[in-house]
Amino acid sequence: MIPGVSYDQRWWEHVEQGAALPRVEDEISYRRVIMNPATTWDYFPGHHDPDYARSQGQPTIYIHTMHFLGFVDRLATEWGGPRTFIARRRVSLRHPIFAGDTMVGEGRVVRKYTEDGERRARHLVELEVTVTNQHGELCCLATVTVELPARGG
Amino acid sequence: MDIEATGYDIPVGTYEDAKAMVGTTTPVRVGEVDVNVPMIRHYAAMVRDGNASYWDDDFAEEHWGGVLAPPGMLMTWLIPIEWRPGGEAPVPLLTARVPLPGDTLINVSHDAEFFAPIRVGDHLGVVEELVDVSEEKRTSLGVGHFVTTVSTYRRQDGQLVARTTNVLYRFTAEEGQG
Repeated sequence: MIPGVSYDQRWWEHVEQGAALPRVEDEISYRRVIMNPATTWDYFPGHHDPDYARSQGQPTIYIHTMHFLGFVDRLATEWGGPRTFIARRRVSLRHPIFAGDTMVGEGRVVRKYTEDGERRARHLVELEVTVTNQHGELCCLATVTVELPARGG
Repeated sequence: MDIEATGYDIPVGTYEDAKAMVGTTTPVRVGEVDVNVPMIRHYAAMVRDGNASYWDDDFAEEHWGGVLAPPGMLMTWLIPIEWRPGGEAPVPLLTARVPLPGDTLINVSHDAEFFAPIRVGDHLGVVEELVDVSEEKRTSLGVGHFVTTVSTYRRQDGQLVARTTNVLYRFTAEEGQG
């Protein structure tokens, strides 16, 4: 066991439709935006060059798609636990998160269902996740389908 | 816009040039690195994600058969290294190779379906297809076109691991903004 790592797992049987996911707030400094190209090798200048971002009509550099994806997945898997498999994730990017902004992630359970898989039934949950900024503006709307372990196998 | 400005050599062209490219499918392009622990943990640190599947080797081995790659990293495994000895330029993503009037771009939507966990040691290849270029549309950023691509990712053993549909906006920023 590694200190600070959560091993709590949610089982499909225990999921309640309509339940809220824990809210997550994350302050995004310039350093964190620069970590976008550093960690993913995506050097599009909107994520590291404020002059370029301004030439696009933006006030400064902003996080990239893969950071939104990681944040949305983090919300889903912190709620579900480390055995949660992201099966599908649809993301609509509505407004950038700029350096200096705070990302606020919220979500809820929309649907709980099973589906025939190759060898066994898949136990799935559909989540709706929103990412807003500190002004309450919607920045990203996501629908995430996760597969959870089930007590019945 | 040249390579130095954007990191991508975005070709300029007309809407008709872009429409003529719809249906284009790329050859398989194989990633330059295997899925690896240092990149996984650096990304997880960026997102502040303490998932045991990314940080605990033993846990990940037991449940996934190896350290799991955060699914949000999918595109990373196929980003080309931007310089190589001899100066041969890397091939950019298909979506950045569509000739259009707009001199810049921003991403607007991304839909990903995953068919198998992506783990340390996997080596991914991608095939990209240009499926749509919209007519000219005005938004709060300027005037441009929406470009839709579908990317199919397979592992070295042929296993399909993911399919994504991405839409980006190729536009020219309005005067007076920014």
